[in-house]
Amino acid sequence: MKKIQQRLRPWLVKYLSLPSDVVMELPRITIIGQLHVYIENHKGLAVFTDTELRLKTTKGYIQIKGSSFVLKMMLPEEILLEGKVTDVRFIPG
Amino acid sequence: MKQIQGSYIKGYVTIIVKGRMPELFFQQCVNNGISVWNVRREGKSSCSGNIKLTDIPQVKQLRREGDYKISFDKRRGYPFLFSRFLRRKEFVLSFIMSVLLILFMSNVIWKIEITGELPKEIEEKIATQLNEYGIHPGAFLFTIDAPGKIQQKLIDDIPELLWVGVHQKGTTYQLEGVEKIVVKKDEVSGPRNLVATKKGVIKKMYVSKGVPKVMVNDFVKPGQLLVSGTLNENTNEQGDTNKQEDEKEKPNPILVAADGEIVASTWYEVDVTIPLKKNYELLTGNQEKRYYIGINNFKLPIWGFASPEYKAIHQDNKETSLNFFKWTLPIKIIESTLSEKQYHELERSREEAIKDGIKQAKEELQLQLGPDAKITSEKVLHESIENGKVKLYLYITVEENIAKAQPINQGD
Repeated sequence: MKKIQQRLRPWLVKYLSLPSDVVMELPRITIIGQLHVYIENHKGLAVFTDTELRLKTTKGYIQIKGSSFVLKMMLPEEILLEGKVTDVRFIPG
Repeated sequence: MKQIQGSYIKGYVTIIVKGRMPELFFQQCVNNGISVWNVRREGKSSCSGNIKLTDIPQVKQLRREGDYKISFDKRRGYPFLFSRFLRRKEFVLSFIMSVLLILFMSNVIWKIEITGELPKEIEEKIATQLNEYGIHPGAFLFTIDAPGKIQQKLIDDIPELLWVGVHQKGTTYQLEGVEKIVVKKDEVSGPRNLVATKKGVIKKMYVSKGVPKVMVNDFVKPGQLLVSGTLNENTNEQGDTNKQEDEKEKPNPILVAADGEIVASTWYEVDVTIPLKKNYELLTGNQEKRYYIGINNFKLPIWGFASPEYKAIHQDNKETSLNFFKWTLPIKIIESTLSEKQYHELERSREEAIKDGIKQAKEELQLQLGPDAKITSEKVLHESIENGKVKLYLYITVEENIAKAQPINQGD
């Protein structure tokens, strides 16, 4: 069953043009300049320091690097990060 | 951002979490539905963040579950400000005092204004009279009577006043007076005749100026000339036939303001009905006072609780509302006076009823005609009894002054 679902989802996105972040449970990341990073649909915080933020997702982690990080807002599936962003990296888990 | 809006009003706290991986504590908070903002890494094993005041019990619950050390750092927001304000007793006290003071000031008369074109003496008289009633700057608004009552009292006590209007406008009392004499001066003083106002038979004549045109015992109709103001009328009358020619030759008529008193006997026919049974209420003079604080329709008694043992009670309420600045508060002070009253029932015989009826008719007529008229005789023309009432048809003769001034039209 799960395999069919996993195969069906990219098909839905491709041919019915459904929003990919919702259908495939992927994080949606909005970056505003170097200042703000807004991440939705993540699966929880893994590491947070002054220079690094690591978030769990369905397939591994998202790593954001920079300096003077502040979490402006934390909600169950959303995070707003403020600081000077230099790196956004996907780490397969 | 909606979750953290208005947090200043509800209050928020900065907490510092210490332990291994302190950021995970915030993740735990978020998973439990506590919104967290401004999370900052303070060092290797500590992290700070803001939470709402209302979420603190939940955070304490979470602290018990994990092995993090949590300390509260800054308290911000309105609830903290308020408690800090409450902690200063003198501050709270002065606030209450100032509100009370404003309340007190709003219910005191500050100024009495007397307007209207009145001479100084009358203005002063009004002021002293008001002082006697207890109305002066500094008097409480709820100790004084209603403006209508003051109006009545002032007119009764100061005979020079024709009318006085009393308004209460917030904390000032405005009085507007009209003097009696001013109106009297308005009467025309020019050449005039005296004419009759009513039909009647002339009884007495006293003419101080002018030529009398009627005699004693003459019957006059309304509008008839009684005293002429034209002295050399005869010459004028002759010229009337061919006025236009003669006007230049004849001397101008001498015109004066005719003055005098023509007393004639006039008559009136009056209908009166008098019930044979008479009910009336009489206050015995026993009374008790009660005070209430009224809010809308609710009355809270503050003084006088026992109900008096009167059989019948006449209740008089006087309401004074409290003011706060220019607004009237919904709170009223009600002073109610309970007076004992007695019902009296009186049955009259027919003769008594007729006598009362005549008396009543005479009084009414006298009131209508003024104090100068003299009622000389009355006669019952017809009487009947219907439904316990006596119906009278009266014929009353009166001696009164029927002269009325009428200005002479000089034709220019």
